[in-house]
Amino acid sequence: MRNTIALLLLSLFVGASVPALAAGPEDLVKAMASEVTASVRSLPPASNGVNPQLTAIIERELVPRFDFGRISQIAMGRNWLKASPSEQKQITTEFSHLLIRTYSNAINNLRDMDVAVRSTRSNGSDSDVTVRTQMVGRGSPTSIDYSLSNATGSWKVYDVQVEGISLVAAYRDEFTALVSSDGVPGVIAALKKKNTK
Amino acid sequence: MTLSLKHLPLALLVSFALLGAPVQAAKKPAPATAAAQAEPEPAILDPFEPLNRGVFMFNEAFDAVITTPVKFLYTNLLPEPVRRGIGNVFGNLDDVYIGVNHGLQGRGNLAGNDFSRVLINTSLGLGGLFDVASDMGLAKGKGDYGVTLGVWGVGPGPYLVLPVLGVSTLRDTVGRGLRIASDPRTYLEPIPSYSLTGAEYVHVRSTNSATEDLISSSSLDKYRFTRSLFLQRRDALISAAKQGN
Repeated sequence: MRNTIALLLLSLFVGASVPALAAGPEDLVKAMASEVTASVRSLPPASNGVNPQLTAIIERELVPRFDFGRISQIAMGRNWLKASPSEQKQITTEFSHLLIRTYSNAINNLRDMDVAVRSTRSNGSDSDVTVRTQMVGRGSPTSIDYSLSNATGSWKVYDVQVEGISLVAAYRDEFTALVSSDGVPGVIAALKKKNTK
Repeated sequence: MTLSLKHLPLALLVSFALLGAPVQAAKKPAPATAAAQAEPEPAILDPFEPLNRGVFMFNEAFDAVITTPVKFLYTNLLPEPVRRGIGNVFGNLDDVYIGVNHGLQGRGNLAGNDFSRVLINTSLGLGGLFDVASDMGLAKGKGDYGVTLGVWGVGPGPYLVLPVLGVSTLRDTVGRGLRIASDPRTYLEPIPSYSLTGAEYVHVRSTNSATEDLISSSSLDKYRFTRSLFLQRRDALISAAKQGN
């Protein structure tokens, strides 16, 4: 709590444009979630399907704050090491495209929601935390928990759990099956096929 | 719409007699594990996968031919406030079961919240048509008999895909059976009973469209993806209940 107040004071001092680098994980999550909801709200009510404007919001607000390399590594699990560096790179590229599309479809549901940060817990070290938030609006609140790591000098998200569901964990299940049937190239082929649909 | 409640206590009694009395003390919650990457690959128990995949395909076809057109008519013929009212009426009945289950899980405060919601919404909310309790700050709860069984230490058992009803586990199918046995609608005449159940099914499915679209557009293997999301969700509900959140 004291830290939060200190940070708030600091941010007042430094001015409104504290770079994301200096921000703690809670502030980063809060800023990201409120910017995304505000941007979605400014759009006309969208129809279903891929909406370029929603994708633009994701590209602008989420992508710089997500560590897609780490996300791909988690989704591959043990099989990450079976992939060559160039295969790892391909998986990261294709998988981030798929995730961006998925998040673009999902954020339209956050239109009438506001973010409330509930708590932050450490995942065993100071540089790995989970920030638990709730999206509140009409109906029952939706919990969204962000896991972030500071391994590279700035806080980056490597997992998102919506109501306890991690998409990355769901993909890990898919990737594991693909590797055991068609090897690492099977994962790349399936991702490419999905992305061109 | 009047629902006969005379069979309810009997049905409840029978349900719990069937369960026996093995109300184990809830196990100590596992210490908060580090995030996803540190966990071992989750063991998914799906010995009936070939059969489940068959039922899954049947359900997809059933949705395409029946559920989707009915959903389309429902959402286009009835304006949003009417549909919300319908959802609230079913939700009000559901709150009774959420309360019962919170009670069975030893979460008295939450049960109190749920039953207050029922009282307020049934009276001030005109028979549950309006969810005034939410506006008063009494948030809607979550949970069912399957969660309660999980809190009591019953494992999920094999993953099952039920015809029309969809994804489940053995434990959650037992939970669903308890719900059906204790639901007053079960004991109505067949036509009102099936109509009410069907109406709730269509309503619930119409509110899940966004999730269903997301699964279709994101999954590489829809069966496997759905299974993972469902099992994760059930685990999350149960561990939250165990930790008293």
